[in-house]
Amino acid sequence: MRGELHYDVVVIGAGTAGLTAGARLAEGGARVCVLAKGVGSTHLAPGTIDVVGYTPAVVQSPAAALEELVAARPDHPYAVLGSGALADAIQWFRSRVESGPLPGYRYVGELERNHLMPTAVGALRPSAFVPETMAAGDGAASVCIVGSRSLRDFHPALCAANLARAGIGARGVDIEIEVTRADENALGLARRFDDPAWRAAFAARLALKLGADERVGLPAMLGARDPHGAWTDLQQRLGRPVFEIPTLPPSVPGMRLFEVLRTALRRAGGRLVLGAEVIDADRDGSRIRAVSTHAAGHDARYAAPWFVLAAGGFSSGAIELDSRWSTHDRVLGLPLSGLPAPGEPRFAGDYLAEQPMARVGIAVDGELRADGAENVLVAGAALPGAVSWRELSGEGIALASGSRAAQLILAQAGARTGAAA
Amino acid sequence: MATLNTDVLVIGGGATGAGVAWDAALRGLDVVLVDRADLAEGTSGRFHGLLHSGGRYAVKDPRAAEECIGENRILRRVAADCIEDVGGFFVTTPYDDPQYADKFAAGCRDTGVDCEEIDPAVALREEPRLNPDVSRVFRVPDANIDVWKTVWTLARGAQQRGARVFPYHAAVAIHRGGDEVTGARVRSGLTGEEIDIEARVTVNASGAWAGAVADLAGIEGVRVLPGRGIMIAMNHRLVNTCVNRCQMPTDGDIVVPIRTVCVIGTTDVNTDDPDDHTVLQDEVDAMLDDGEKLVPGFRQARALRVWTGVRPLFEDSKAADTDSRDVTRAHALLDHTERDGVKGFVTITGGKLTTFRLMAEETVDAVCRQLGEPRPCTTRTEPLPGSEDEANYRLGERLERKEKHLVEDQLICECEMVPRRKVEDAMRRRATTNLDDIRRLLRLGMGPCQGGFCIYRATGILHGLDGLSAEQADAALLHFLQERWKGIWPVLYGDQLRQARLDDWIFQGVLDVEHLPA
Repeated sequence: MRGELHYDVVVIGAGTAGLTAGARLAEGGARVCVLAKGVGSTHLAPGTIDVVGYTPAVVQSPAAALEELVAARPDHPYAVLGSGALADAIQWFRSRVESGPLPGYRYVGELERNHLMPTAVGALRPSAFVPETMAAGDGAASVCIVGSRSLRDFHPALCAANLARAGIGARGVDIEIEVTRADENALGLARRFDDPAWRAAFAARLALKLGADERVGLPAMLGARDPHGAWTDLQQRLGRPVFEIPTLPPSVPGMRLFEVLRTALRRAGGRLVLGAEVIDADRDGSRIRAVSTHAAGHDARYAAPWFVLAAGGFSSGAIELDSRWSTHDRVLGLPLSGLPAPGEPRFAGDYLAEQPMARVGIAVDGELRADGAENVLVAGAALPGAVSWRELSGEGIALASGSRAAQLILAQAGARTGAAA
Repeated sequence: MATLNTDVLVIGGGATGAGVAWDAALRGLDVVLVDRADLAEGTSGRFHGLLHSGGRYAVKDPRAAEECIGENRILRRVAADCIEDVGGFFVTTPYDDPQYADKFAAGCRDTGVDCEEIDPAVALREEPRLNPDVSRVFRVPDANIDVWKTVWTLARGAQQRGARVFPYHAAVAIHRGGDEVTGARVRSGLTGEEIDIEARVTVNASGAWAGAVADLAGIEGVRVLPGRGIMIAMNHRLVNTCVNRCQMPTDGDIVVPIRTVCVIGTTDVNTDDPDDHTVLQDEVDAMLDDGEKLVPGFRQARALRVWTGVRPLFEDSKAADTDSRDVTRAHALLDHTERDGVKGFVTITGGKLTTFRLMAEETVDAVCRQLGEPRPCTTRTEPLPGSEDEANYRLGERLERKEKHLVEDQLICECEMVPRRKVEDAMRRRATTNLDDIRRLLRLGMGPCQGGFCIYRATGILHGLDGLSAEQADAALLHFLQERWKGIWPVLYGDQLRQARLDDWIFQGVLDVEHLPA
């Protein structure tokens, strides 16, 4: 093992919550290291900032629904976080997108109104803040959904047929795209869209197939490096609004979101170590003193007065249900909450019902402090009480809790902000 | 109402019924095969995939052992393409009676089951994950058999010889003219349409449901006691050889490597209802514990899914001298002319998958006797379509084939390497909107992600076929998700729960399938 590395704060997890906490801590002057086993949920999620979409009724105004949600579910992360955290976090996030590595790329939306975004199967999915490249998908009267047989992860005719059932004038068309191998995904095609000449040829082929007033919906693949440029160019060439539709992972808009947050962290002087799984923690009574990682042939130890645990829940493997049906925090071994009572079912037989195991997370107090570890704050999907893939609340919780954790740590004298630049 | 005429109507499209259809068609008879659901959706499709060497029965049931080894040798030739020659071990673990091993060796010798005792060190070199404390190991010619492929190959082989095959057609009435069964009325479960089928002989090959079908014919006392057993598929081939506990048959005594997974089985619980698919927590726990005994660390692997099958254990309440074997694993052929004075009706039930061909042979022999037309059986030597070269299936065949076509053909299911062309062909050929039918044909969605990535793709492809509506496509997607979840949640733990969460994100978080237009 190499020598111990010392930081003001060690953040565990590089999803939206961990990167937000890390970037905001670094911006606040803390010396921060973000450790992660791998990239987080960003690469799997649609890249929208969902605040709350279903309660379970479809939510028109997230701001109004949040009040009801907090009243009905005091165990929900939004209830723990309080109302101010979210608006502040979203403002921060939008400014980091706009000053970020993708020129011109930005998010649009407001807390008072959800967009209704077409999904790849043609459902209408409520989301508060969406990349500008997706926004024209909301409220379109007449759309042409465009895909290619070369992309197995998007089926325009099915998407259009379901949109038509919802009362939108929609049809699907296929455009031939030449690929070097048949298993091309949206990321591979997004790299093509970064190329202006390729894009121009694509637009010329597509223009022939479009009706007069149709907006154009494409799978979310309009550029990896310069999505705003690709999207603007395509809109100009086609002379109409164009919008992206998220589809199966890898998520191109999610990867853009990751890039934005990683850049914010680095610009503020924070460090990101991917491929560094936390395998052990050095405890000192009720505090975590240091964590050890296993990475690339050597182990390393990171000591800090504060830790942010944003390693996710079951989906990342940070929380595990083992084959003897006991549940653990695999990262720091902290107590959990939201578990079904002993002897109660863990899962329901109906796939689309709420599953009893769905709300498990690390037990925290009102200031995100983990039970049994006073210098660990918890953020994102590691928090108990939310079913983010059903509520459509994941990014809202991640941004708000990541921001709140940063704010709470920075407010403590123990954060040694004397290290600030 | 449509009417059909045929020589032989077979009710029940499992391995036995499809075997009867193939056998009868080879003998030049005209055949209609019906099943209330998809072919091999009942007991046949719900076992662990073992082609018995006979070793399992060598001590307890010598006749069954003899039948198994005989059929094993035949099927390896005639159904070669459906079988992977993985071989089998019987191992004495510290949990087993050490006395049994000698009885086992003697039993194999007496019943003709090829059996060679090998040094446990040799076995451990071949199967490094095997319990290192095994004291004795016997090598036997166990193999695995892909039952869906087998049953569909039998059915298609029969079709090529003029047979007509109707999945999703349940017998709703059996026609009697005096002391003779003259056919049956079947009803489509999809359209409700009925067909009257007039047949010279009707074969009741409905396995665990044989009592109910015999009741329709007004024949009493055909009792089948369904014995329910659970099986769990793990996401790896933890072993590449069928590994059996060397002891009297008991729960959780075998791990069968098949295709990309391995399957542990099984339990045996009497039930009243052959459609009872209850999975009890205790059974899952016991099965995982049994896995640990054979392969330490078994619980660390991902359990993909659990299912139950019901064995048809036949008991003839009319037979005075029912010996114990008749209520165990042996098959029972009832010629109702002899038994009940009812002509034109034959029941075949009991038995096990390994002996389906023999059961079919005896059944069609009885049919020919009823018809008064001696026609010799040829299924011992006639290869199934695709097995003409007697080459066994090999794991890796799909990958090998696929790698040649990476540029031209998309993979729809990465886990099981199912290309788009196959999915489209199967959808057209089956003319089905049920993605589970495609799953059984191609193993679509049967790997570690359990359809997470392929089912949206398959739904899009299905929708692109002629004339399918979005409503039908959506229903197919939601039906598949629900069916798949049934087998997942009782064994959901460890990394498979991670996988399920990723799938939740895809279907609920990204696609929002719950809120498709109603």
